[in-house]
Amino acid sequence: MSELGIQPFLVLSAFLFACGVVCVASKRNAIGVLMGVELILNAANVNLVAFARFNPAFRLDGQVFALLVIVLAAAEAAVALAIILNFYNNHGTVDVDSADELQG
Amino acid sequence: MLEVPGRIYVLATLLPLAAFALLLAGGAARAFYRPFRKGGGLLGTMYWVCGGDKPLRTGAYLATAVMAATAVLAVAGLVQFLSDPTEGSIRASRWAERIDWVRIGPGDTLSPPEWERQRATDNARPAPRLALALELGYKIDHLTAVAFAMVSVIATLIFVFSTAYMADETAETVLDEGVKGRRGEGGHGHGHDSQPLSPAHPFTPSGFRRRGRYGRFFLYLSLFCFSMLNLLIADNLFQVFVSWELVGVCSFFLIGFYYERPSASAAANKAFIVNRVGDAGFLVGIVVAWSYCGTLNIEELTRRVRAPAEDTHGEYEMANQIIRVSAEPQLPTATAETPRDYVLEPRDEPGTGTHVLLFPIAWAEPTHFHGPGHGKHKDSVFEVPVRGDYVSYGVIPYALFVLMGVGIFLGCVGKSAQVPLHTWLPDAMEGPTPVSALIHAATMVAAGVYLVGRCYPLFAAEVLLTIAYVGAVTLFIAATVALVQTDIKRILAYSTCSQLGFMMLALGIGAWTAGLLHLITHAFFKALLFLCSGSVIHGCHHEQDVRKMGGLWRKMPVTAFTMLVGVLAISGAPFLSGWYSKDQILAAALGYGLEHKAHVLLLALPFAAAAMTAYYMFRLWFLTFAGTPRGDGAAHAHESPLAMTVPLVVLAVFSVGVAWGWPFWEPEASALGHVLEKAQPAFVAAQFAAEHREAEHRHLTAGALALVLGVSGAWLAWWLFGWRQPAGVEMHKPGGAAYRFLREKWYFDELYDAAIVNPTVGLAKFAAAADKAPTDRPRVFPLPTLDGLFNAVGEACVAAGQALRAVQTGRVRTYVLALALTAAAMLGILTALAK
Repeated sequence: MSELGIQPFLVLSAFLFACGVVCVASKRNAIGVLMGVELILNAANVNLVAFARFNPAFRLDGQVFALLVIVLAAAEAAVALAIILNFYNNHGTVDVDSADELQG
Repeated sequence: MLEVPGRIYVLATLLPLAAFALLLAGGAARAFYRPFRKGGGLLGTMYWVCGGDKPLRTGAYLATAVMAATAVLAVAGLVQFLSDPTEGSIRASRWAERIDWVRIGPGDTLSPPEWERQRATDNARPAPRLALALELGYKIDHLTAVAFAMVSVIATLIFVFSTAYMADETAETVLDEGVKGRRGEGGHGHGHDSQPLSPAHPFTPSGFRRRGRYGRFFLYLSLFCFSMLNLLIADNLFQVFVSWELVGVCSFFLIGFYYERPSASAAANKAFIVNRVGDAGFLVGIVVAWSYCGTLNIEELTRRVRAPAEDTHGEYEMANQIIRVSAEPQLPTATAETPRDYVLEPRDEPGTGTHVLLFPIAWAEPTHFHGPGHGKHKDSVFEVPVRGDYVSYGVIPYALFVLMGVGIFLGCVGKSAQVPLHTWLPDAMEGPTPVSALIHAATMVAAGVYLVGRCYPLFAAEVLLTIAYVGAVTLFIAATVALVQTDIKRILAYSTCSQLGFMMLALGIGAWTAGLLHLITHAFFKALLFLCSGSVIHGCHHEQDVRKMGGLWRKMPVTAFTMLVGVLAISGAPFLSGWYSKDQILAAALGYGLEHKAHVLLLALPFAAAAMTAYYMFRLWFLTFAGTPRGDGAAHAHESPLAMTVPLVVLAVFSVGVAWGWPFWEPEASALGHVLEKAQPAFVAAQFAAEHREAEHRHLTAGALALVLGVSGAWLAWWLFGWRQPAGVEMHKPGGAAYRFLREKWYFDELYDAAIVNPTVGLAKFAAAADKAPTDRPRVFPLPTLDGLFNAVGEACVAAGQALRAVQTGRVRTYVLALALTAAAMLGILTALAK
C-alpha cells in the first residue's frame, strides 16, 4: 500500500474536485449543486489524509483537519438543505436559475 | 446687595436684556399663533391677545419704562458711588466682582509665602503663572459710573422720543416710500395708490407695503442698550469684546431697520463689515494680551505691564511706568535650563530695551473675589527691581506690546469711526433718526473712545502718538467734509466723526480727563442735535435736505431753540458744557504742540477744526431755521408732539449744565471733569507732566484763540446763510474742484471701492463663475466649471456602475464557472511563474 505513493491520491482528489466543480456549475437542481459541493469537500479530505499519511510532519494535523471538514460538511448540508427548503416554499421549485432576485 | 452696592449696576445692565427677552418672547408667541388667527379657538384668541395684526404699543412702553428704571438705578448708583466713603481695596471690593466663566487648566497653586520661599532658593523660577480663565465681572470706577449714567439717561430720553417718532410703525401696514422701482414696476408717481393691498405683491408704484415694526424697533434698542451698558461695566477685555460684537450686530439691525431699501441694507452691511476690520485688530490685541499676560482683566493687565505705584527702592521715576529690559544671555548663572535673565534699562534712555517687564500679579490678591469681609484684601506691595539689576520676571517683546496696543486701538478706530475706518458712519444715517442719536451720541461710537480710556495704561508711547495723529487727522477731514454736506443728518454724522477725533487726540496727547469729559458732554449735545434733526425731519414730512428747509423757527420754536443750544454747545460757546471739555482739549493740544515742536500738526489741526465746527453747525442751523421755507416739506412743517419735545428740552438742559463747576468761568473747574479725573490712570500725570504744565500755562491763550476762531466761524456762517439768505438755486450749483472734493468726502469711498471693494467683488464673481455657469437645465453645468467637473466625476461613476451591473446575473452557475476559471487561470499563472 505504501509503495503506491502519493500521486494516485492526488489524482483521485483532483478528479473528485473537477467532478464537484462541474456538478456545481452545470446542475440546475439545488440538491445537485449541494452534492457537487460535497464532492469538492471530500476531494479536499482525500488530499488532507493523503498528506497526513505521506508527510510525517502532518501526521496528526491532516487527520484532525479531515475530521473538521466532515463536521463542517454536515453543518453546511444542514444549512443548505434549510435554505433549499425555504426556497422551495417560496418558489415552488429548486431550480437555482430562478433565484435571481438579488441581481443588480 | 447693600454690602456690594456695585450689584446695582449689574441689575441696571440686565434690565434692558430682560425687556429684550420679553419683547422677543412676545413677538415669537405672536408669530407662533399667527397661523391660527382665522380659525378662532384658544390658539386664535391667543393671537389677538398678543396684539393681532396691529403692532402693540405695550412692548414699546414696557421697554421705555424698563430703560427709565435703568436710568434711575444708574443715577442712584452714581450718587452712591460718589458718596462712598470707603477707600482702597475695601472700596474696590464693594464696586467690583468677578466669576469664572471658563477655566482652562490649573494655575500656579503655590501660595505667596511658599512662592517666596521657593524663589529664595531657586532664583531662576519664573513668576507664577495665572490660571487661564475667561471671566465675567464688573468693575465700577468714576469713569464707568459717569458714562453709565450718561448712557442710560440719554437712552431713556431717546426711547421716549422714539415712542412718538416711530409712531408710523404702529400701523397695520406701512407704506415705505424709500423702496421704489423694483420688480420692473414702472410709474414712480407720488401719492398714487391705485393698486389694492395684497400681501402677495408688496411692491406698489408708490413704495413697499409691509407690516409695522414698532415692537421690533424697541426690541433692538433694548438689546443695544444692554450691550452698551455691559461693555461699560465689563472688567475684562473678553467681556468687552462680546459686548463689542453685540453692539455691532445691533447697529447692523438698526441701520438696516428699513431693510427693504437697498441703500439701508447696503449701509448696514458696510457698517458691519468695516467694523469687522477693526475688530480683527482688537482680537489680535486680545490674543497677545492673553498669551503673554495670562489674563484679560484690564486691571490685572495694567498691574502686569506697569511698575507698582509704591517703589520699594525709592526710585520714584519707576512708579507706574512701563519698564523695558534687554536680554542678557552671557550671564554666568544662565544655563540652558533656566530662563534667560533680563537686565533693566534706565528709563531716561528710551528705546533701548527690547522687552517689557511683566510683573507678577497672581498672588498679590486673591484671584477670586468672594464678597466683602473675606479679609484678604490687603493692598499689594511688589518688589521693584533695581536699575541695572538682573531680573527673572516674565517679559513680552516690545514690538508685540506695541502691536497689542495698536490692535486694541484698531478696534476703537472701527467703532469710533476714525480715519481710515470712518466711512461707515455717514452711511449709517440710513437708520431711523433715534438710532442715529443712540449710535452717535451715547453708545456705539462712544464705545471706542471709552475703551481707549479704559485700556490707557496698556498703550506704549508710540501707540499714544498714533492715537493722537489718527484723532487729529480724523477731526480735520471730517470737519472739512461737514462744511459742504447738505443732508441734515450727514452734517451731524461728520460732526460726530470730527468730535470723536477731538476725543482721540486728547487721549493721545495725555489729556485723558479732557478727552473723556468731551465724550460725556458731546454725548448729551450730540443726542440733542440728532433728536432735533429727527424732530425737523418728522415735522418736514421726511425731508432731510437742508437746502429745502428754512424758516422753521417760527413753526418749530422748541426744536429751533433747543437745537440752537446744541449748536452753541458743540461750537464751544462759553459756559455751555461743550466749552469746558473743548477748551481743555485745545489747551492740551497747545501745550503738547509747544512742548513737541515736531508734532505741531497736533496743534494746528484741532484749532482749524474748531473754527470749522462753529461754521458748519451754524450753517446747519441757519439753513434749517432762519429765513423763509425753500421746500414743500418746510412750508407745511409743524412742531413735534410733546413726547418728542420734552426729551429735547431735558437734553438741552443737560447740554448747558452737565459740566458746570465752580468757578464756572474756569474750564478746569468743571465738576464732572474732577470726578473723571479720579479715574485717570496714575501714570498720566507723571508721564505728561511737562505738557500739562505747558497747557496750564497757556490755557488762557488757548481759550481766547478758540473763542476767536469759533466766533469767526459762526459769523461767517451767519453772513453767508443767515444775513445773505441765498436762494435755493444757488445752493444746487456744482461748485469748484475743492468743493466737489469735499462734497465727495475726499473720495474715500471711491478709493476703497477701487482698492478693496471692486477687486474683492471681482474675485468673488470670478470664483462664482468658476464654480458654476448658468444653463437652461437645472443642476447641469458646463464641464470647465467646478460644479461641472464634480458632476462629471459623479456621472462617470454612475455610468461605470450601470455597465458593471450586467455582470451580476444572479445565476449561481455563472458565478461558479467564473470562480473555477479564475482559479484555473491563477493556477496557470503561478505555474508559469514558478518555472
